Amino acid sequence: MNALTSPAHNHKVMTARIALLTALGTESVFFLTLIVAYIALRNQFNWPMEHTLSRLAFPLANSAVLILSALTAWRAQASISLGDQTGLKSWLLVTLLLGLFFVAGQVFDFTNAGLRINDQAFGGVFFTLMGFHALHVLAGVVILAMNSLRARLGDFTAEKHIAIEIGTYFWYYVTAVWIILFAALFLV
Amino acid sequence: MSVQAQSLPKMQDKSESGLLSWLMTVDHKRIGIMYLVTAFLFFLVGGTEALLMRLQLAQPNGKVLTPDQYNQIFTMHGTTMIFLVVMPLAAGFGNYFVPLLIGARDMAFPKLNALSYWTYLFAGIFMYSSFVFGGAPNDGWFSYAPLTEKLYSPTHGMDFWAMGILLLGIATTIGSINFIVTIIQLRAPGMTINRMPMFVWTTFVTSFLAVFSLPSLTTAVVLLLLDRQLGAHFYNVAQGGTALLWQHLFWFFGHPEVYILILPAMGMVSEIIPVFSGKPLFGYMAVAYSAVAIGFLGFTVWAHHMFATGMPATSLLFFSADSFLIGVPTGVKIFAWMGTMWKGKLRFSSAMLFAIGFVALFLIGGLDGVHMAVVPVDWQITDTYYVVAHIHYVLFGGAIFGIFGAIYYWFPKITGHRLQEGIGKWHFWIMFIGMNLVFMPMHFLGIAGMPRRIYTYGDGLGWGIWNFVETIGAFAIAISVLVFLINFFVSMRKPATHESDPWDGYTLEWTTSSPPPAYNFAEIPSVRSRRPVWDQKHPEMADWKVGE
Repeated sequence: MNALTSPAHNHKVMTARIALLTALGTESVFFLTLIVAYIALRNQFNWPMEHTLSRLAFPLANSAVLILSALTAWRAQASISLGDQTGLKSWLLVTLLLGLFFVAGQVFDFTNAGLRINDQAFGGVFFTLMGFHALHVLAGVVILAMNSLRARLGDFTAEKHIAIEIGTYFWYYVTAVWIILFAALFLV
Repeated sequence: MSVQAQSLPKMQDKSESGLLSWLMTVDHKRIGIMYLVTAFLFFLVGGTEALLMRLQLAQPNGKVLTPDQYNQIFTMHGTTMIFLVVMPLAAGFGNYFVPLLIGARDMAFPKLNALSYWTYLFAGIFMYSSFVFGGAPNDGWFSYAPLTEKLYSPTHGMDFWAMGILLLGIATTIGSINFIVTIIQLRAPGMTINRMPMFVWTTFVTSFLAVFSLPSLTTAVVLLLLDRQLGAHFYNVAQGGTALLWQHLFWFFGHPEVYILILPAMGMVSEIIPVFSGKPLFGYMAVAYSAVAIGFLGFTVWAHHMFATGMPATSLLFFSADSFLIGVPTGVKIFAWMGTMWKGKLRFSSAMLFAIGFVALFLIGGLDGVHMAVVPVDWQITDTYYVVAHIHYVLFGGAIFGIFGAIYYWFPKITGHRLQEGIGKWHFWIMFIGMNLVFMPMHFLGIAGMPRRIYTYGDGLGWGIWNFVETIGAFAIAISVLVFLINFFVSMRKPATHESDPWDGYTLEWTTSSPPPAYNFAEIPSVRSRRPVWDQKHPEMADWKVGE
């Protein structure tokens, strides 16, 4: 680690990491139970698979946007670790915009597929899985926006940037969750 | 009169008192007190609801409540006692004492701590406001879908319930994350994991249970709200939904929840019994790791609440055998408490009486639980008063008795006043006898076939006599709570003694003044054994010298 980081700061970083890990633990059970609900409902009658398999192209492209944003989030954190303030600000902004683009894409995809929340249980479970994931992406966007603001105020240094680290990990997490949901909803 | 045991500066400036300072506080002790007071007020409300039910059922064909009122009252009684009383009482003691027990100055995230209290308070008021907005929820505390769907429950009661539960889940999750981080990060030097006081251990395990089980309840109520508000069909079988989904999601939360309610009380009892036996806790490691085992097993037994839903035989066998298994770590604890008392110098203070009452009553409740793990027995007694007897022996005889023990034990630390021992013993004995009068006959009624949740029953069924006895017992409990309130006011009117260590205790909270200053400890203590205060008082036979 850097010679400039104090034990007190390392303790704060550790505290934030443990809190984040626990929070992601509880989020994971939430998504897991949603997926369990999805599997349980799939086993019921009348499961309209043609809704998904026939139109894989758009969801696939939109997923690529989110994965790309994880890479730009990683670039933002790498920039500030080297003390590169400009890099941090621009990569944060790119990540934020990609995130918004992804959410817009999800809304478009859901409506475009002609699905409604009250289309039997199927529409409901589709809506819930995509919707709650999109809400998490939006929460990530809010974190990124706050971090961008603080980056403009010069709050972060190469040694001290806990909020950037937490925001980045959260962004990786929502990306990973989407990959699992994408597989569950569109591939399996 | 009021001699400070330690010369620590008191909170001086005026801004530290007054209403505003309580509204704005992030001090873990004040938040703890707010939790305790709020939860106790809800305890009085939930208790009043219980009395109303007992009045209605005192005689066959009772006319005190209408059937619809009865449904609302029993739903709110269960919801209140579980979510608004026992969980927040444990959270209140956790907030106040976990930092003191581990030698810290506050929780890891003081502002989040305040947020979780205010969310809890708001959720409680929100749920109760349903009484004036078209009727309270009326489908029971576990709110089985599809009964809770709009078609069958058209009032807004269920919506209030579901949204209130969502908010309470958020409050508890935030609080639990805070406990986990605090316990991992803020222990005093030398306090290794295996030297933590047992109440810290159980709060730790409880927090993990909450963090990993509450999301399942969140999912269940979110899907219910989508069904009710947006016309989705998760629990609507006719549209491809599944009715059993609710039960699985609910009980995947609901069974760990039982341990969320009882483990903190087990921790409190594990603090009280050693101090009043003049011995260290017998089998410390066994008690600590049996709590962990209970936590793990708690996640694997949820379907034993669903034996009557027509599960495959293999599932029945698995969940039945698994449920028996929980008797093992629980039994370990019972023997450890008995081993602690064995050949000890027992002091039968009110706190100790409640702790011993806990062990006895929880044992009965635990044995009832083992009965119901037997599938054919469960088929016979499920949804009868036998189940009501079981849950009240573990949650009233268990959790509430443990919490009253903790109130008598820690009251001097929080207020600087001891509760009166004489009145405390009246409180204990009236409550102990009343409790058994109410809940023991429920076993007989359950076996006789009286279903739970019926608002009345016919004349010739032979249930009248035991129901009448139960109602008398319920009023005995109410009187005992009055005795406690009298004790509270009498004790607070006496001059404060500010004893820092009234019970000759073992753990770090007894090294600071009563009440402690805002910063808890002038100097962060360092710890060399499980009983740091014993070590200070008896340096020649300190635990770390003679071996733990």
